[in-house]
Amino acid sequence: MLKKIIRTQEFIVFLILVALSLVVGIINPAFFSISTLFDTLRASIVYFIMSFGVLPLMIAGGVDISFVAIAAMTSYTTHMFLLKLGYEGGTLLYFLIAGAMGLLAGLLMGFLVTRFNLPVFNVSLALYTMWYGFNLFFIGATANFDLPKGTVGYYARFLITAQDPYVGQTGLHVSIIYAVVIGLFVWWMLKYTIIGRGLFAIGGNKEVAIRSGFNVNFIWMVAFALMGVLSAIAGVTQGFLSRYFNPVLFITQPLDVLAAIILGGASITGGRGTVIGTTLGVLLIQIINRALILTGIPVQWQKLVVGIILVVFTSIPAIRAQRARRFRRTTEAA
Amino acid sequence: MTQGTNEKSTAPVHRKPLAGAFRRVRVSSETIQLLVLAVILFVFFSIIVEKFLTVRSITSMGFQMPELGVLTLAMMISIYTGGINLSVNATSNLAAVLAGFFMVKFIPKDAAGAVVTLYLAVAFLIAIAVGWLCGMVNGLLIGYVGVPPILATLATMTLFTGISTGLTGGATVTGFPTQLSVIGAQTILGIPIPFLIFVGFTILTYILLDRTSFGFKARLLGSNPVAAEFSGIDNRAILMGAYMYSGILSAVTGLLIMGRTMSAAYEYGTTTYVLLTILICVLANVNPGMGRVIDVFIAVVILQILSTGFQMALSGVRGSTFFKDFAWGILLILVFVANYFIRGRRAQSS
Repeated sequence: MLKKIIRTQEFIVFLILVALSLVVGIINPAFFSISTLFDTLRASIVYFIMSFGVLPLMIAGGVDISFVAIAAMTSYTTHMFLLKLGYEGGTLLYFLIAGAMGLLAGLLMGFLVTRFNLPVFNVSLALYTMWYGFNLFFIGATANFDLPKGTVGYYARFLITAQDPYVGQTGLHVSIIYAVVIGLFVWWMLKYTIIGRGLFAIGGNKEVAIRSGFNVNFIWMVAFALMGVLSAIAGVTQGFLSRYFNPVLFITQPLDVLAAIILGGASITGGRGTVIGTTLGVLLIQIINRALILTGIPVQWQKLVVGIILVVFTSIPAIRAQRARRFRRTTEAA
Repeated sequence: MTQGTNEKSTAPVHRKPLAGAFRRVRVSSETIQLLVLAVILFVFFSIIVEKFLTVRSITSMGFQMPELGVLTLAMMISIYTGGINLSVNATSNLAAVLAGFFMVKFIPKDAAGAVVTLYLAVAFLIAIAVGWLCGMVNGLLIGYVGVPPILATLATMTLFTGISTGLTGGATVTGFPTQLSVIGAQTILGIPIPFLIFVGFTILTYILLDRTSFGFKARLLGSNPVAAEFSGIDNRAILMGAYMYSGILSAVTGLLIMGRTMSAAYEYGTTTYVLLTILICVLANVNPGMGRVIDVFIAVVILQILSTGFQMALSGVRGSTFFKDFAWGILLILVFVANYFIRGRRAQSS
């Protein structure tokens, strides 16, 4: 059993994570502090939520870019709308409205993909462009810092607080609960529901899934709807955490999220992927970003270091796959 | 990706075969569709915007198009071989930055015109070499190590941008000889030179893909890598060649941008620019093993018409470029849906 775990991509990512943390910690012991842990988690929350929404799609074989646009569109539109109404209440209404918009956006995408048999990637590129254009042209082109009175202070609502030798008071933000609950839900869905297993079936071999009786269209719709809702939740959460709403939120980041998910063991062609792997992948990317600052590498060279790390880290699973192939019998499909 | 066995899909539109050297050239229905779309849009904007159909406006479009156009050709060849190249923009900037460094460091201040031109030529060669090397890195990762193209090029995109950022320290490189603007801002017989360069590379790419054994093998590789491998095609070498060519085209784009802006920086373009080239390829029906260079050319023209058209139509309204994005997204979806109905609901694999 242990042997099986060790062989997985997820375990390797875990090892890399640990190794990287150790190396950085040795270079700069400030890394081994509660504030690093809490800050890294805080920065990861929205990426966790978004990637849990994209993971089911990727497992089913669909590569999606538009989730960032849905996050930006739903959060910014909800905010500007409530602002116009003079809303002074708390965060719940934001989540409800944005979530509903996200649901509709996801269903729209699902409709286009299933009704017209279009490749997910192509539709997602079109929608990515469309939603950001919609946001910027029809809603507004500037970031907005006027948060309703009822939400002020949300950004500092901590679950646990602690004293840290370097920064003083620090805390783990409440919204980590959302990420944990959503992660558990997606894990449960993937493992214990027909829809979840259906996603793996579609990703493995769509024709076989259809002939096995899976309602493929319905499963896609559910996955897209989920992606829409989770992206909206992530967008709103980011707005409150950073205390401003941005029409071009996450616009440069869909590929980074996809990279995190794939590094965490999901296959880009579908049929494979886990919540724990995705979590590790996101953490890895976050820690790489954080580690660079702490190791004192000059700002202008940081990107290069990230690039080298990415090249190495993406090569590892590829080389593993090659070695596995070499030991397979020639009668198996390539 | 398997195609349906429906005969209708691959058969060319029936027309009288042309004589002589053009005998083998058949215009496909998809190309016609794109041409029609381009014409419709052109007419639409000519009517709506009074200054659209002027020499000045068309010439300006001719200056703006080539950068995106050559970059899209770079993207096209990667998609054609079954992959994708997210690092095209980063390669273009890196090539420009290194060529820029050379020019700034080595061109003597008071050199004569001819000498300067010589230095320029060397700088161009440096840029092409950089593009070629970047392509080689991609080819190694994708072809020989076996990293999925989207991941490999995402990594190399960061890597190349990182090199540019590190070397420039974030600053823009300037101080180029004025002769450089020839490729960016001058015309021959009223036709912008960058546009001629774009057309030239379009023809070159067409010849490469349609009339060489490399192109033939690339098409086979894109359609079915496993079958290609077992047919004796060296997949890894073809992939290497494809990404090298992609890198060279990216470098040319970098030179074009440098010619227009008279500067080089690590940050020109950005992810959205790369996604734009992918969108254009999608519009042009470029898929692994499928796709025509002429379709890509027309698709670039379509985007340029839309871009300039909306900019001029909405010149009073703020954010006209944003509306263009919105419209572009919707247009694409309309084209997808239209294709679905035109092809007679032929099942397309995702």
